[in-house]
Amino acid sequence: MKKILLGLTGLILMFSCKNSEEKQTDETDSKEVNVYTHRHYESDRQLFKQFEEETGIRVNVINASADELIQKMSMEGKQSPADVLITVDAGRLERAKSRDLLQPIESEVLENTIASHLKDAENHWFSLTKRARVIAYAKDRVNPEELSTYEDLASEKWKGKLLIRSSGNIYNQSLMASMIVNNGEEEAKKWAEAVVKNMARSPKGNDRDQVKAVVAGEGDLAIVNTYYIGKMLNSDDPEEVKAGEKVGLFFPNQEGRGTHINVSGAGVAKYAPNKANAIKFIEFLVSEEAQKIFAHSNYEYPVNDAVEPAPLLQEWGEFKEDTLNLSQLGQNNKKAVMLFDEAGWK
Amino acid sequence: MKQAGSSNIFSLKSRLNRLKRDTNRWSVFTLAIVAFIALPIISIGVKLFAGPGETWGHLVDNLLVDYIGNSFFLVFFCSVLVLLFGVSSAWLVSRFEFPFRKQMEWLLILPLAIPSYIVAYAYAGIFDYGGSFELFLRFFNMEFIRIDMMNKYGLAFVLSISLFPYVYVSSRAFFLNQAGNLLEASTMLGIGEFRSFFKLILPLARPAIIAGLILVLMEVLNDYGAAQYFGVNTFTTGIFRAWFALEEPETAIYLSALLIAIVFVLILFEKWQRKNLQVASQIASKFSHRKEFKKPAQWLIFLIVLIPVSFGFFVPLAQLIYWAVLTAGNVFDLDFLMLSLQSFWIAFVTSVVTVILATLLIYFAKWSSINTVKSVSKLGILGYAIPGAVVAIGIMIPTLALDKWIIGIMNDYFGISTGLLINGSLVALVYAYAVRFLAVAYNPIESTGLKVSSSIPDSSRMLGVGNFRTFFRVEFPLIKTGILSAIILVFIDVMKELPLTLILKPFHINTLAVKAFEYASDEMVMEAAIPSLFIIFTAAIPVIFLNRLLIKD
Repeated sequence: MKKILLGLTGLILMFSCKNSEEKQTDETDSKEVNVYTHRHYESDRQLFKQFEEETGIRVNVINASADELIQKMSMEGKQSPADVLITVDAGRLERAKSRDLLQPIESEVLENTIASHLKDAENHWFSLTKRARVIAYAKDRVNPEELSTYEDLASEKWKGKLLIRSSGNIYNQSLMASMIVNNGEEEAKKWAEAVVKNMARSPKGNDRDQVKAVVAGEGDLAIVNTYYIGKMLNSDDPEEVKAGEKVGLFFPNQEGRGTHINVSGAGVAKYAPNKANAIKFIEFLVSEEAQKIFAHSNYEYPVNDAVEPAPLLQEWGEFKEDTLNLSQLGQNNKKAVMLFDEAGWK
Repeated sequence: MKQAGSSNIFSLKSRLNRLKRDTNRWSVFTLAIVAFIALPIISIGVKLFAGPGETWGHLVDNLLVDYIGNSFFLVFFCSVLVLLFGVSSAWLVSRFEFPFRKQMEWLLILPLAIPSYIVAYAYAGIFDYGGSFELFLRFFNMEFIRIDMMNKYGLAFVLSISLFPYVYVSSRAFFLNQAGNLLEASTMLGIGEFRSFFKLILPLARPAIIAGLILVLMEVLNDYGAAQYFGVNTFTTGIFRAWFALEEPETAIYLSALLIAIVFVLILFEKWQRKNLQVASQIASKFSHRKEFKKPAQWLIFLIVLIPVSFGFFVPLAQLIYWAVLTAGNVFDLDFLMLSLQSFWIAFVTSVVTVILATLLIYFAKWSSINTVKSVSKLGILGYAIPGAVVAIGIMIPTLALDKWIIGIMNDYFGISTGLLINGSLVALVYAYAVRFLAVAYNPIESTGLKVSSSIPDSSRMLGVGNFRTFFRVEFPLIKTGILSAIILVFIDVMKELPLTLILKPFHINTLAVKAFEYASDEMVMEAAIPSLFIIFTAAIPVIFLNRLLIKD
């Protein structure tokens, strides 16, 4: 028994030493960049590989939800190996900033490429891709002329017809935060209460499930992110493709402030051991070649205007986006969650 | 003793003396292991004194009733279903002969190999619009029938069907080893088999059954992935919401504390019901033969046993294979093999470490002569009740403190700047797994240990043989099965573990569960099928091995 124990301890020690050796070399030659990311798409892996090939800088990835990554970074403090934090919403980046986990960076490339509402005013974080939160409607039952705004979803005519996922989802939280900023807390709460009354079923599943429920006839309207529709239309499952074809997309609030968008974005960690590489890395991600990959494999809208969206997205047409500064979504996120709870939005 | 009542001081002194006499090194070792395991939990517990966050009131007003209601609903429904599936199938395969019985013995354990959130995704996929069930109905023009899986009933079903093997394994071990002579005796007394089962065998098997059930319930209370996907609010989804969406770890810790309290009640209940029944049959005995009915009846038994196997294993497996075929081109490559090997290796090392810790804990506590120490040793299994994400944070608190201390010393005395040594290394990960899964190892070892009547090791010690030697010579061979089952169960759990791995895993290392989750959380449920299938196959091999072992025993 003792021998086994000793052997095991030895093994574990060996592992940990190996690890620490690796880390030390990181710091000296700095041919690495450590990325904490919430995005886990094939396109990202492809991009990381490309970056490695072009620069010789190795990309080390930790994949987890943004919440967990932020928690991890704040606990690691000055010793954190993180160089770059990537999340799938501006709210979490704003939170990381308010917890003093990011640092401002100076980069002409980023300054020039990214529109001002898509980045932090103090350059703590920058958007990488955009998604619009739109209404998917049953083509055979809904006349798109009846649709107009997010606010209109609260109207009585949609009673029992609305499909939307749970309030635990960040995309809904961001949408609610934008309602708070645009219309005020009280109106936003009333809106949420009315939407809950209009729901066809208690919220569950993911965005794709809402679309499938529309096709199955459980409701008429689903609120979803654009790129999920793109993925359904290109799915390996013929049934998903069929479902995707049966819904039409409507971009709300075109007459007014524009359709709500959320972004995925990146910031440089405050204690980044490889800061120069981190900046290079983010600059690479907004470059034309990288943005093309984002746009074409994942059906997201590029933040670099020089790059056209994927053909499918072009078919949906151009739309006016809400240019509300995205940091405000983060600042109102908690409020949004609490209003959801009070409105009984599960 | 005569003077005991005569003076208070004297009695206090004699008590102290007794404590001194009884405090052997085993008590100290036991407490050391408990402290090691409980350290992350205590680190979090200390935070309770800071009070809950400001949204606690908001949470109590709007959500708590829902959390408690749903969690109790799940505990109740899952208990009923799991007992039904687990105990009945265990009895049928131990007592009766029927076609494919040998295969059924191990097939019944296989549902454990599929992570329950994957089972949830599979069932949601089957009953979805355009899912296999609907396609099947379309064939008969009956697609107006829709079964909605995504609610609390569906969740209870999914969790039960994927977790019942815990009860199956523990009750079958009892039936195989103990029930033989009991049943023989009672039938000799003219009591019918049916009555003997309910009046005699079942009550005696209760400790084993409940031990399995407690594991199931802890998993149920801990589930995050399935509940979240099905839109059912439970304590665990609430913990995540409070921690992350409301940005209040303090509130999340309060919720965790409530959850831990519930689990503690469960454990006490199990203790209490076990106390009433501290009988171990002195002579382990197997059935001399399995009962053989006529062929049609045998096939009926086969069909009954096939129900939990199908719903727990074949149905979700078929759905996963279908998805895997659709997506094979996108997912499968050589990296995948490496990934599988890493997963396998980590799970193996962890299970060995955890089982050694569990065995030491059980036996040190046994050798300690202080009763309080024995009770305290039970605290070691609390980690299982705590959500993986919370355990991960709990691990980071003390290990980071240690890391920073080492960094300080190395800097001050040697001028070397070391990075974080323990955090982000496999040590922290394995430590976290051990904390989380000690209960999984503890239960089978303890329950096989209980069967070893204490007179054998006692007489060995009376002959002057030391504790360790007695353990290896006498007890180890007797509890070998328990130990190996423990290794396998922990192995499977580690293969499936998710939230904790996500937070603590080192760079460059990935596991199959993480890979599956990456796909699933990005709504690429179909792509998650291939890594899930790999988990199932790597977990299935040891399961089959486990079964061989139980039979040989």
